Amino acid sequence: MSTAAEQSHTAGGSVLDQVGENIIRHVSNSSLDHPLIQLPNIWGIDLSVSKHVLMLWIVAVLVACSVIIPIRKYLQQDKPQPKGWMNVIEAVVKFIRDSIVKPNIGPKFTDTWAPMILTFFFFILFANGIGLLPIFDILGAFNRFILDIPAAPPGVEDHNFINSLLHGGATVTGNFNVTAALAMITFFAIMVAGSRAHGFINHWKNLAPHGLAWPVYIILIPIEIIGMFVKPFALTMRLAANMTGGHIAILAILSFMAIFAEMFHSTMAGMGVALFSVPLAAAISGLEIIVVLVQTYVFTLLSAVFIGMAINVHH
Amino acid sequence: MENLHLFGVGIGLGLIVIGAGIGIGRLAASAAEGIARQPEASDKITAAVNLPLFLLEGVAILGEVFALLIVLMK
Repeated sequence: MSTAAEQSHTAGGSVLDQVGENIIRHVSNSSLDHPLIQLPNIWGIDLSVSKHVLMLWIVAVLVACSVIIPIRKYLQQDKPQPKGWMNVIEAVVKFIRDSIVKPNIGPKFTDTWAPMILTFFFFILFANGIGLLPIFDILGAFNRFILDIPAAPPGVEDHNFINSLLHGGATVTGNFNVTAALAMITFFAIMVAGSRAHGFINHWKNLAPHGLAWPVYIILIPIEIIGMFVKPFALTMRLAANMTGGHIAILAILSFMAIFAEMFHSTMAGMGVALFSVPLAAAISGLEIIVVLVQTYVFTLLSAVFIGMAINVHH
Repeated sequence: MENLHLFGVGIGLGLIVIGAGIGIGRLAASAAEGIARQPEASDKITAAVNLPLFLLEGVAILGEVFALLIVLMK
């Protein structure tokens, strides 16, 4: 075993060394030094298009084409009567409004905040869902076997557009920066909601309950301030970690094939493990579909709950 | 000795799973019991169970992220 490992080390690292790196490359953004499209810095912000930025655009276009444009068209009709795809959208919108927004935010502010919660819902749903489709891997197979463009050897930067897309099928919401941006919107929405319902000063007074003995406030006020920042932080981590975790699990189980094939120095061992790992990976992909729906629901629900907490102060 | 942090991460992940498992198990058990006693209140019980369930899950996920950070950053 040790001699084999040494041999394969001289041949560019053993499979075990490559597996972890490969998985991380799959779920993380493409490196900042070699983005897909190089764009100049403007005001110190790197505007280059990386893998996740491209996916973000694809998601935006898809949401626009399948949700925004049909609704605009529908509303322009003289006598709006939903049919086909509009029925689906209407059912989803009604569900979000009646069972997420209304019970948590209250009937008075439902119409104010339902659009934002719905935007969250559709964006996260599409972003999570697209992450499950291995479109880039199919593109990679096309590139490799039909166009005959080989992958660059490890350590060399790839300049082929599709090759640098590879290790993709990227979930945008698996990137902490994207979910942090979404949670920031919730963070400010909480403040705006509280200020609109109670006035700016009263919103901050409402953070801690009134009428307690003063020593309690010494503990309570820092806790409430920390809690204010923990809410969006937990939202960020929950969504990103859930979306990344499932992908890592699928890839790790599929990598067993390569690992076992190397451990026993035979292709048959890898094929034998495939009998076990491919169905398991398929089953986890099925579980991922549930996770996608649940995490979308959770993010929108928790956003609604936090906004509702600022509006309906209990104490 | 330089790989000792992996040991800690393994134990930590196990503790996270135990904690989250106990939490989710207790929630689900109580919810099932409540629904069995009062089937007509099942909607309210489900709604009440959902939020703590997700908060609990969030804490477990946070723990896992920090475990991953220990591995990646040593």
